[in-house]
Amino acid sequence: MRIGTNSYTDTMIDQFSVLKSQQDKLQNEVSTGLSISAPSDDPAAMETTLDDLSSQAAQQQFSSNISTVQSKANFIYSVLQSLQTISNRVGEIATSASSATNSQTNLNHYAGEVTSLIQQAVQLVNTKDPATGQYLFGGTNSGQQPFTVTTDANGNVTGVTYSGNSSVNQTEIASGSAVSVDVPGENTSGSGAQGLITDSRTGADLFNHLISLQNDLLAGNTTAVSGTDTANLQNDENNLTYQVAYNGNVQTRLNTASSFATSQSNSLTGLISNASSADLATTMTQLTQAQTAYQAALESSAAIMQLSILNFLQ
Amino acid sequence: MLGLLGTLNLASRSLQTQMTGVEVAGQNLANINTTGYTRQSVEIQTSPDISTTIGPEGTGANAVAIQQVVNAILNNQIQSQQSTSGYWSAQQTALQSAQTSLNEFLNGTGSATSSSTNSTTDTGLSGQLSSLFADFQSVATSPTSISARQQLISDAQTLAATFNQINTQLDTSRTTLNTSLGNDVDSANKLLSGIADLNKQISTADFNGATPNDLLDEREQDLENLSNLTNITTSTGTNGAVDVSIGGQSLVSGNQVLDTIQTYDAGGGQLLVQTATGGVNLTLTGGSMQGTIDARDGELATMQSSINTLASTLITQVNTIHSGGFNLTGTNGANFFNGSDAATITVNAALASNPSLFQASGSATANSDNSVARQLADLASTAQSGLNNQTFSDSYGQTVAALGDSLQTANDQVNNQTAVTNMLSTQRGSVSGVNVDEEMTNLMSFQRAYEASAQLVTTLNTMLGDVLAMKTS
Repeated sequence: MRIGTNSYTDTMIDQFSVLKSQQDKLQNEVSTGLSISAPSDDPAAMETTLDDLSSQAAQQQFSSNISTVQSKANFIYSVLQSLQTISNRVGEIATSASSATNSQTNLNHYAGEVTSLIQQAVQLVNTKDPATGQYLFGGTNSGQQPFTVTTDANGNVTGVTYSGNSSVNQTEIASGSAVSVDVPGENTSGSGAQGLITDSRTGADLFNHLISLQNDLLAGNTTAVSGTDTANLQNDENNLTYQVAYNGNVQTRLNTASSFATSQSNSLTGLISNASSADLATTMTQLTQAQTAYQAALESSAAIMQLSILNFLQ
Repeated sequence: MLGLLGTLNLASRSLQTQMTGVEVAGQNLANINTTGYTRQSVEIQTSPDISTTIGPEGTGANAVAIQQVVNAILNNQIQSQQSTSGYWSAQQTALQSAQTSLNEFLNGTGSATSSSTNSTTDTGLSGQLSSLFADFQSVATSPTSISARQQLISDAQTLAATFNQINTQLDTSRTTLNTSLGNDVDSANKLLSGIADLNKQISTADFNGATPNDLLDEREQDLENLSNLTNITTSTGTNGAVDVSIGGQSLVSGNQVLDTIQTYDAGGGQLLVQTATGGVNLTLTGGSMQGTIDARDGELATMQSSINTLASTLITQVNTIHSGGFNLTGTNGANFFNGSDAATITVNAALASNPSLFQASGSATANSDNSVARQLADLASTAQSGLNNQTFSDSYGQTVAALGDSLQTANDQVNNQTAVTNMLSTQRGSVSGVNVDEEMTNLMSFQRAYEASAQLVTTLNTMLGDVLAMKTS
């Protein structure tokens, strides 16, 4: 076939351009590790990748949520443990004071200890979450101190009032799944999260029961101490046990959800990688091929362009 | 019998004939790099013989024509392919600019050497939407945290700015495409006028019996350039003039430009093309003009509308939930976003300056309630009726994929057209292109023939000298 001299050079320029753009694309894949970067590279893979990235961001946020509430759950647990210690000591006092052989002086000592324990307990339930500076047991009204103690002239506790509410926040730990680690100080509504100190469903009312115990000890009413007070304190003990168990359950659920979120995120990384990552071996081989082809084209063209009938004319 | 003087005359004509061959080879070599040049060849015919008693005797040769070596079918094919190439190139340019406006690119943070541990991020709205909903979750988890709220407001501002930016860039693209259409129309008018002028010169030359090879090349080039702008229909008259129609309207007839074309606003800044004097709206079918119009009114318009719908749905949904919530001071009713679409979306300035005004709580008396923040976070996975029952990220993903599809098609078509055009150009080159080796060989051939004819003159001169010497001796 007859070939125009310029057709040859035009074709050569086109071939160089194709080979050069192939090299650029492969080089870009090697340096970024991605086989696609723009939507037009592979629209379907791009859509899948964006979707996966969005799901991954959600999973990472769930992990972050879990981590935040885990730390809160740990703080709550430490308060619960201290409250249990107080509750145990109060039980011991009630048992010791039940005996009719106790002198009033002894009972007054016990009453003083109970007063001090009430103050300690109030201090505990007024604990703030170190992470947020908010009160742990005020329900969703956590900006103000939930429990306030009133005392008489002798320093005896006459009442503890609650100014929080009975609501708790739910936190999403997986798609469509939420938990609450919060414990309201008091819940007399008969529904919702069980109150830490007072709950109408279980009969728990720790502070009022402790105040009764304190007052009965001061009054030398050992019958009431061994009867009503001990029975009431048992309800409070049971309520605390429930709260510890609930906290444990939530923490277990958080651990499971955390592992799930991490494994989901890892698996999404795999999917994203499958859809958008360049395969090193293949890409490098293709890059070498493209380079070889480009070099060959340059060399052969340079050699052929030297040749013309002009070289042989005298 | 020719005799000495007749043969001398034969030698003289032969010198002229071979010289013409040398001239044509020279012209071909001189134009080897001229765009659109068609190689020429000299047609040499034997001169009429004369009868003698011993039979017919030749009288040499004459150069009777200098012709273009051209294949009209190839030229027509190239013309028609030009309009397809122009169409897809215009689409490609417009869609590439749209893809850049969207700025939805994947970034790899590692090299392929560690591809298994690469983290991939994206730079556009998709990632920013994810961040917004993740921030709602963060506030839901720590409702009273000011830093979580600040992060939310900051990310929401970035998202709003990206919406604004995409919208501005798409508006700019639209203006640029309209300008480009106007430029194409101007170029087409110049070409139409040029073709009419060339028709005139070609007809005159044709009338005078000449073959205006270079003018034909020039007109062919103009027709191809015009085809690149829009699909044209041509017909060649008996006098060599080419009539040109665009969109069914005859615009060049012989040496007359019957009408020119111009852009007109079909409403809302949507420029289309019509005839300037006749005011007939043209339905174009190819070329860069239609490519530009199709990209502007097709994928770009669809994309801009999708982005606007996405922004307006986001504004409505977030505001509806947010305005029902309470901020850290227990008041409610404020919007989270201001504006109504991608062009106008901003974060409420009051919230931006004081993140505690973000209304995360469902109760005026419960500062750390998170129910409203949770509802906002749940929007991420809620199908929106305004978005064809898709979530925000799914709807946006589809917009991105649709643009990617269109651009991929345009890229493929441009590559295909390049291959087709190259193939046709090579074919045309094989017929009409200048080949140095061939021209040099022809040159040598004519040079040798010229030398031989010159030798004939020398010989005849000697013979004439001999004849004259007979008388003097």
